[in-house]
Amino acid sequence: MSSNHPLIRVTNLDLYFGVFHALKSVSVDFHAGEFVGLVGDNGAGKTTLIRVLCGIYAPSNGEVHFDGKRVTNFHPKLAIDQGIETIQQAVGLCDNLSIARNFYLGREPVKRILGIPFLDFNKMRDKSTRVIRTFGLRDNVSADDEVEQLSGGERQTVKIGRAVEFKNRVLIMDEPTNHLSVREREHVNELAIQLKEQGLLVIYITHDISQVHKLADRIVIMENGEKIEDTQADAMSLEELEAVIRHGGRTVEKDHMH
Amino acid sequence: MAAFETRTVAMPTIRKLARGSGVGAIAGVVAMLVAFTLIDFSGWWTIQTLSNVMHFASILALLAMGQALVIISKEIDLSVGSVYGLSGVTFISMQADLGVGGAMIAALIVATLCGLVQALAVVKGGLPSMIVTLGGLFAFRGIIYVWTGGSVRGFPEEARMHWLTRMFGGELFGIEAAFFWMLLVLAVLSLVLWATPFGNRLLATGGDAESAATRGVRTDRVKMGAFVMCSILAGCAGIVTLADQPQTHVTLGELLELESIAAAVIGGCLLSGGRGSLVGAVIGAFIVVSFRYELIALGAPSSWFITFVGIVLIIAVVFNQWLARWAGHNV
Ligand SMILES: Nc1ncnc2c1ncn2[C@@H]1O[C@H](COP(=O)(O)OP(=O)(O)OP(=O)(O)O)[C@@H](O)[C@H]1O
Ligand SMILES: [Mg+2]
Repeated sequence: MSSNHPLIRVTNLDLYFGVFHALKSVSVDFHAGEFVGLVGDNGAGKTTLIRVLCGIYAPSNGEVHFDGKRVTNFHPKLAIDQGIETIQQAVGLCDNLSIARNFYLGREPVKRILGIPFLDFNKMRDKSTRVIRTFGLRDNVSADDEVEQLSGGERQTVKIGRAVEFKNRVLIMDEPTNHLSVREREHVNELAIQLKEQGLLVIYITHDISQVHKLADRIVIMENGEKIEDTQADAMSLEELEAVIRHGGRTVEKDHMH
Repeated sequence: MAAFETRTVAMPTIRKLARGSGVGAIAGVVAMLVAFTLIDFSGWWTIQTLSNVMHFASILALLAMGQALVIISKEIDLSVGSVYGLSGVTFISMQADLGVGGAMIAALIVATLCGLVQALAVVKGGLPSMIVTLGGLFAFRGIIYVWTGGSVRGFPEEARMHWLTRMFGGELFGIEAAFFWMLLVLAVLSLVLWATPFGNRLLATGGDAESAATRGVRTDRVKMGAFVMCSILAGCAGIVTLADQPQTHVTLGELLELESIAAAVIGGCLLSGGRGSLVGAVIGAFIVVSFRYELIALGAPSSWFITFVGIVLIIAVVFNQWLARWAGHNV
């Protein structure tokens, strides 16, 4: 399931927002070919942790190693170039741009005329149309529509389709099934499993505990900015898992000691 | 079911048209010309007035296009009038030492530096552009006063006749040269904005900087690009103005920051960022300058002009907001 050297290694990571201590000495390893469920209460620090991994926040203290190399500069561009693709929780699409423009934002295909890079509109439109159709958007949504006009589920679909299209080594999904219908949810979860089987590292944040208990190889639980549990999924029953999230790590550990 | 279909299938064509920025400006210009024609029989439709309007509207349009780029990136540049003045004064003052070509380059370097310093303060210092460029407005004007001691020389005869001076000032085919330069800049910048990766990232940065950043867009560099382009355009406008009339004084370009903002906003740039049009900004410049000449033609005291710009600006903001909402934008 996992090679011996982790693809991403996080050691003693601290992150402060001003005086607020959002991540407290978090250490965790992620391996290629692994499906890791990241769970925990609202405000536990899940999104903050993955935002460090995808380069949005630089840690206040601690280290991140990617593929054995220490990460010294944090920027989404660098993370994307390393092959980390992320479906962000609340952001990731610019309302004022069309689906096609959003799709390729930051990695626009160009045709050079006299050496000047012009957007390759045909490619942008064709490819993004193909992807949104594959992901089940109806024919009345065109790649030229501004994202502003889309429903919550349609937006989420565009974000997922884009991330899967550009998948590379790591796919981070922050509550990817929000806004999605039951059918679409299943589709996304199947895809996540497929990508893992193709050798990608999949980090999957969700509040759907029973779902993630079925899908994940390993489950990491966070609370108040700390990692309180890190376990193989089959080493813990769904009930235990729910109990840890509800009551926090320490109480359950006490139970184990009896 | 029906709700789904209204979006693309049944959205009335006119509403779809209105989604493009700059439509308000076109409506405005038509209304203005009709009004001018109705209320005024002597002053407006004359060759002299039209050629003046064309010349000064082209110069203001250069500034307004730069301002539009900055506003699209969700910032503002209050310093363009002073950058215009400082570049113009550099062009005139350095001509004796550097020649016309050298002075032009010096003026553009000065403009670039003005833009760069302010852009760095905004993106690296995390300061609001409103404050930084307000500082620029005073600081660059102050430099003009200190440097020139209050008076600026004009060009000697041979500099006036220099081919570069004539190329940027003067006339081509009986039309002010400034007009052709403005059209060239409009064509190039429109392509940059709508058909290049930089343009896509500029629109994205202005529309939603956080989302753009998560896609790997270097929003700080994009904003710096907008500020520097804006300052360079202000510098170009200064050069074009003085190539036509190579004498000036230290107040050159005062209040142009307001006129350029007015032109960009009348042209459909939303201060909420991410939406705007360069064609609109050019039309906006045409409207602002036309009002000045119409007031002159009507014999109104020139001080009324600022009041009028203010009123037109407010009407434009209200109208464009309404238009944007009506067309279905979340603004
Ligand atoms: N940019 C920020 N500035 C200040 N505080 C922040 C910022 N982002 C997050 N926080 C705080 O950090 C804490 C962790 O937030 P985070 O978004 O990581 O939680 P989460 O585990 O993803 O929760 P949810 O399940 O609700 O998405 C919260 O208390 C939040 O208020
Ligand atoms: Mg979250």
